[in-house]
Amino acid sequence: MIESREQPNTIDELKSRAHWYRLLAGVFAEEPQAPFLRELRSQACIESLAEVGVSFGEDFLATDEEMLLDDLAAEYTMLFVAPGGFPPVESVRLQGGYRQSASSEVRDAYTAEGFSVQSGRFAIFDDHLAAQMQFVAALLERQAEALAAAEEQEARRLEKTVKRFWIKHLGRWCRGYAQLVEEAAEHSFYREMARLLDAFVTAELDIMGLDVADEDGGKLRAPKPKAVTEPMQCGGAAT
Amino acid sequence: MLEMTRRTFMKASAGTTAAALAAPSMLHAMENELGGRDYNPDTLKERKAIPTNCHVCNIQDGAMAFVEDGRVVKLEGNPNHVSTRGRLCAKGNAGMWYSYDPDRIMYPLKRVGKRGEGKWKRISWDEALSEVTARIDDVLKNGDPNEIMLKYGRNRTGGVLHRFMDTLGSATVLNHTSVCESSKKVGMEPTWGPDIETPDFANSKYILNFGSNILEAAYFHNPYSQRITEGRVDSNAKIVTFDVRLSNTAGFSDEWIPVYPGTDGAVALAIGHVILREDLQDSGFITDWTNVTVEELKEHYRQFTPQWAEELSGVPADTIERIAREFALAKPATTYTYRGPAKHLYGAYNEKACMMLSIMTGNVEKRGGYCLPRGMGYGQPQPEPPKPKHGSILKNPPEFPLASHHVSHLVPFWIAEGRQKISVYINYMDNPVYTNPGSETVWGELFRNEELIPFRVVLTPFMGEEAQTADIILPELPYLERWEPESMPNSLWPWLGIRQPVIEPLGEGKEHRVYLQEIIHRLDPDGSRGMKQYWNFKDSEDYMRQQFENVPGLKEVGGLDWLKKHGVWPVYGKLNPATGKISDKTGREIRAEYGLHMKELSAADMLGASVDEKGIIHKNGKAIGVQRHGKNYVGFPSGSRLINVRVDEWAEYGFNPMPTFKRIPWHENLKDDEMILTTYKYNVHVQSRTASVKWLAEIVHRNWAPINTETAKRIGVKTGDLIRVESPVGHLVTKAYVTEGQHPNVIAISTGCGHWGYGRLAQLKLKEKGGQYGAQEDPDMNNVWWEDKGVHPNNIIPAVADPIGGSAGWYDTVVKVTKAKAGDKYGDTEASWDKHFEWYKKTMSFTYVGDAHRKMHPEMASWAGPDSVEPKEPSGH
Ligand code: SF4
Repeated sequence: MIESREQPNTIDELKSRAHWYRLLAGVFAEEPQAPFLRELRSQACIESLAEVGVSFGEDFLATDEEMLLDDLAAEYTMLFVAPGGFPPVESVRLQGGYRQSASSEVRDAYTAEGFSVQSGRFAIFDDHLAAQMQFVAALLERQAEALAAAEEQEARRLEKTVKRFWIKHLGRWCRGYAQLVEEAAEHSFYREMARLLDAFVTAELDIMGLDVADEDGGKLRAPKPKAVTEPMQCGGAAT
Repeated sequence: MLEMTRRTFMKASAGTTAAALAAPSMLHAMENELGGRDYNPDTLKERKAIPTNCHVCNIQDGAMAFVEDGRVVKLEGNPNHVSTRGRLCAKGNAGMWYSYDPDRIMYPLKRVGKRGEGKWKRISWDEALSEVTARIDDVLKNGDPNEIMLKYGRNRTGGVLHRFMDTLGSATVLNHTSVCESSKKVGMEPTWGPDIETPDFANSKYILNFGSNILEAAYFHNPYSQRITEGRVDSNAKIVTFDVRLSNTAGFSDEWIPVYPGTDGAVALAIGHVILREDLQDSGFITDWTNVTVEELKEHYRQFTPQWAEELSGVPADTIERIAREFALAKPATTYTYRGPAKHLYGAYNEKACMMLSIMTGNVEKRGGYCLPRGMGYGQPQPEPPKPKHGSILKNPPEFPLASHHVSHLVPFWIAEGRQKISVYINYMDNPVYTNPGSETVWGELFRNEELIPFRVVLTPFMGEEAQTADIILPELPYLERWEPESMPNSLWPWLGIRQPVIEPLGEGKEHRVYLQEIIHRLDPDGSRGMKQYWNFKDSEDYMRQQFENVPGLKEVGGLDWLKKHGVWPVYGKLNPATGKISDKTGREIRAEYGLHMKELSAADMLGASVDEKGIIHKNGKAIGVQRHGKNYVGFPSGSRLINVRVDEWAEYGFNPMPTFKRIPWHENLKDDEMILTTYKYNVHVQSRTASVKWLAEIVHRNWAPINTETAKRIGVKTGDLIRVESPVGHLVTKAYVTEGQHPNVIAISTGCGHWGYGRLAQLKLKEKGGQYGAQEDPDMNNVWWEDKGVHPNNIIPAVADPIGGSAGWYDTVVKVTKAKAGDKYGDTEASWDKHFEWYKKTMSFTYVGDAHRKMHPEMASWAGPDSVEPKEPSGH
């Protein structure tokens, strides 16, 4: 049974929560493109993020745009795309491989609400973090619309759907995962965005009054994966 | 009213047992299904079954994929498949983990930083193909098309790669066959035509196995392990295995006879000597079907005495005498080799010596004997591009005129010598940095050299030791997502099959046919360069449809549509649950056709034909058959239509045209502490791409080196101790596994383990940091209980090549094995390019133009030398 805390959501609160989901989804969906990056580096955005404790390094703040785009593309690839990385995909995180049952479960959840996942610049999996976050964002926006139209029942249904989705999916992996990214990232952009994700998710669970155990192994706090820059040894034991 | 108590139950049941058993039963336990259907254990809903072709290894078994929610949940054998008969091996069962591997590459990657540094950037297909196309275009416009090189490992594309290279006009297409079986092929082809035999194990009475792990690793181990077990159980066949190692096949045999590495050929010749000396040969067969007489053969074999073979091989002369008699008197009988005898400096000679035993005893094409392979062909979409105008010296090096399957493992040295310029290197599913002799030291060195290889594009779904040095990686699809035509002579019944996608491709992976077509379309958008016409198909399915549309018989039942539904054609019968064999409509086991060489030519065939004094039937300048005992037979596909015991072409180059044996010169006079290093394969691993497959990695992940108990005593080591293995080109440090099941002069190190550039499981990278990192990678990593990934031997194996067949001499390396020295760590390996280069030079001296050639062939004293032969392009593929 999903419990609901007695704090009623305001329309504005719902919209602002949806906004954060969308922002974070955009960060983890793919390598940042120039327009997105420009907005992220705007004075206003940096200041707002600083208010919640995000503190980028010089590598993000003071690097020329073209070079930064390249650096972030490489960092994104190494963290989330290339072999040895850790893709932000629920099936991989919780089931050890791409496109396991979590993938079809979230697809069914999207379909039930009339959504499907499309490719951005690159194709993504249904259970990609970005898709899951955008799904919740969309439901929160609908909830806000329902409240505006005084459709209480629909608003309650949507609220429950969001909570169910968190309990079954996001809540089970994205905090541990955020910690893993924070530890492993070399660039301050991904390190800080992972911190933001962690903090946001914790706050969200609190707002929703949910208590879900995170099963992602990332919560064990990983050392940095130095493997790619260290010389290789041919065979032998792992020590 | 009836009344029953517990007592009456018990009492009455004794008398009614028989009736109860005979009562008709409608309930069928689903687990008793012999395959072809599967159910979700929770919902009991039937899963969707899609037939395809297994491709974890190259045995090419028919498979069924069970799919639920668009996900492969289980794989098993296709019960309709005549060779597979519903059974896959462990590797085949684990195949879906290729698709779902968290380390899979699903987007084009471009290197950032130095080549080989391991840093990547994801790019779009458009960017990737633009860059690859621009590089190719530059060569086509400003250079020689042969500067574009493609080397493939496992190529089951059904002609796509060759179509691509032919379209570009480049002949620089290199295979991987010289590290596999090329000397087996070259030993056999000039003799009887095909490059392999199909032994009828199931019906044999005596199986003489030279160096083959039939149950676990040989071509075609899954179908053959079924057949050899039937031979053993149903036919009471005797199995004798010559091997340096007590493999599971040797253990399954009636006799395991340890043999000194590289001397199987001598043993086979001595067995032949006894058979001929005692007149146990099949004179009729020799006379009718070979190009020598019985007398010639007897005379030639006189030199190969059992005592001579005993000295070389360590196999007692008495044993040779006994085995010879047993083999010759048991009918039917067969030999089998795969591929121990062939992987030596003179592997082609060894191969031929072994096959001679089946020939001289007349067991060829007999039920239970040594049969020709049965294959089936399919077409190619039309039109096809013409062959390139100029040959490639890397593909057909002049020093190896008989090596029709090429000598690819020597290519790094030839490129380094500047024999041929390479501007673009296309690498398809081929990991020579791991699988070839010299591995990282030779191929890794070549691939890192941006002067010799200015641009490298690697086509693969997985990172590997070879992909680490790519400039661009294009994400190919794993086999369960691809379309490919198949046919393999893995039983006595020919078949055609398909690999079809059983799930949607993951991410942005694409298959060869599709992205190669895009490259051609970019090179020739309006068709004016004449390339586009050869790439005229809508999609992969359309391409395959064109390949199967004109196959007689298949065409009538629906061509590709039949194959999509059944996976294989023909379906010869039904898998019989009682026997595990295929039964026809009457319930009898299907029977193979034998005596293919004795098919009679039709009157139409004979129209305009002439018969020479040896009975060879000629037509239009070609031998088309053999006339014997008043009948016109088709004979063997060997060119002459006979079995060429004497291969005249070999003599042209100063090689012995008759069956012979050459001892590996550096195996003579070994010191007490010197041994031979051989490699072998585990039943759950293929050459280079299974160490990271879940399930398989758990079964075998390390490869401690088997050494004999006596040897271990001499060195002073026990199982698990560190040992140092030193070869002429380098050394490695591994652990000993002490066993009686090993030749005392041989140390064996299996391939398949010890990766340094492939997959999280294969490298155990995730355990390297105190066991923590593995825990958060993916949940299966929590289950990794082992900490030993094994040690790979290839770095210290020099690149020896058979001067006839071109095969790598995998089992020829002399090593010193000692206790590890102070400071040695498990997994250390060191080798030098210069020493490898010296060995390359040494192996070249055995070629027909080299200094050692004449010395090795005193019997060919009358040969007029290398200048007496016109260089010519070898045949073959
Ligand atoms: S032998 Fe095993 S891996 Fe190879 S094709 Fe057959 S089932 Fe697949």
